[in-house]
Amino acid sequence: MKSNEAKDDELPSISKLDKTIHEPARLMIMAHLFVVESADFLFLQRQTQMTPGNLSAHLSKLEDAGYVEITKEFIERKPHTALALTKKGRDAFRQYRRDIKQIADKLPE
Amino acid sequence: MTEGINLKEIERKVYTSYHQDGLIDIAIALIVLAFGIMMIFDMAWMGGVFAVVGMSLYVAAKKTLTVPRIGFVKFATHRVKAMQTMVIGVLSLFMLLGIVAFMQTEGGGTPAWLLFAIENHMLVIGVSISASFCAAGYTFRINRMYGYALLALAMFVAGHFLYYPLYYYMILLGSLILLSGLAMLISFVRRNPPTTGSIGDRGNEEQ
Repeated sequence: MKSNEAKDDELPSISKLDKTIHEPARLMIMAHLFVVESADFLFLQRQTQMTPGNLSAHLSKLEDAGYVEITKEFIERKPHTALALTKKGRDAFRQYRRDIKQIADKLPE
Repeated sequence: MTEGINLKEIERKVYTSYHQDGLIDIAIALIVLAFGIMMIFDMAWMGGVFAVVGMSLYVAAKKTLTVPRIGFVKFATHRVKAMQTMVIGVLSLFMLLGIVAFMQTEGGGTPAWLLFAIENHMLVIGVSISASFCAAGYTFRINRMYGYALLALAMFVAGHFLYYPLYYYMILLGSLILLSGLAMLISFVRRNPPTTGSIGDRGNEEQ
């Protein structure tokens, strides 16, 4: 117990990291959506090399957190899923980058 | 840890993957070829018409060939603006030079800089085409454009000493870029089979 507290004192910001983003697959999704205005499901799947099911599950979690906006529409009578980061998502990703950089800077060489 | 989130690298990768279909190369090649062929008939201005047709075909081909295979992406606004600024900038520069040349010629005699440009027209055209490729490479983040820039420069510098008509070089340059674009397109189509059914849809996986 004491050792856990000591660890928290040494690196207090680790516990503050956004766990929704910190998961590697979701981090990859967030990073890809951060550099574009929007992308569709297929494009994101090809870029991240995830299976449709896996990508879908992670997108649902990001949508629940309010980080990703999922818009379903029809283009030439075919269903199309457009994905984009919300303002909350962009801000959260920027904050996450700041936090992770801060932690990395504090670590010894 | 932070190396894991190299956004510039991700952005570059996204751009590269979206332009790996060779369609931009084919569109550019067709425009260069059109200029070259029209020069034979003394109708180089028709190349401008083909440029408009070529870009429309590019957009249509992107929708038909690329989107069903790798999906659709809308690039960030600042990047799109940079592309538009680049295209408008290059066109404005050429237009401005044309207007200045016309005005000075009308004003009395041909100015010295224009005489120099006419005398060394192969070098001037080579540098202009090369600079346009470099600008496109920088804006679209496509490294092979620098290769085309080098190729164009080498061809037109050689043309300065070889005295073949200008359209020879335009047609040769267009053909080489077209071959490169077609090879990329074939490879892209083989590597990325089209998805069946919906475009970029989550389908039943989300249930």
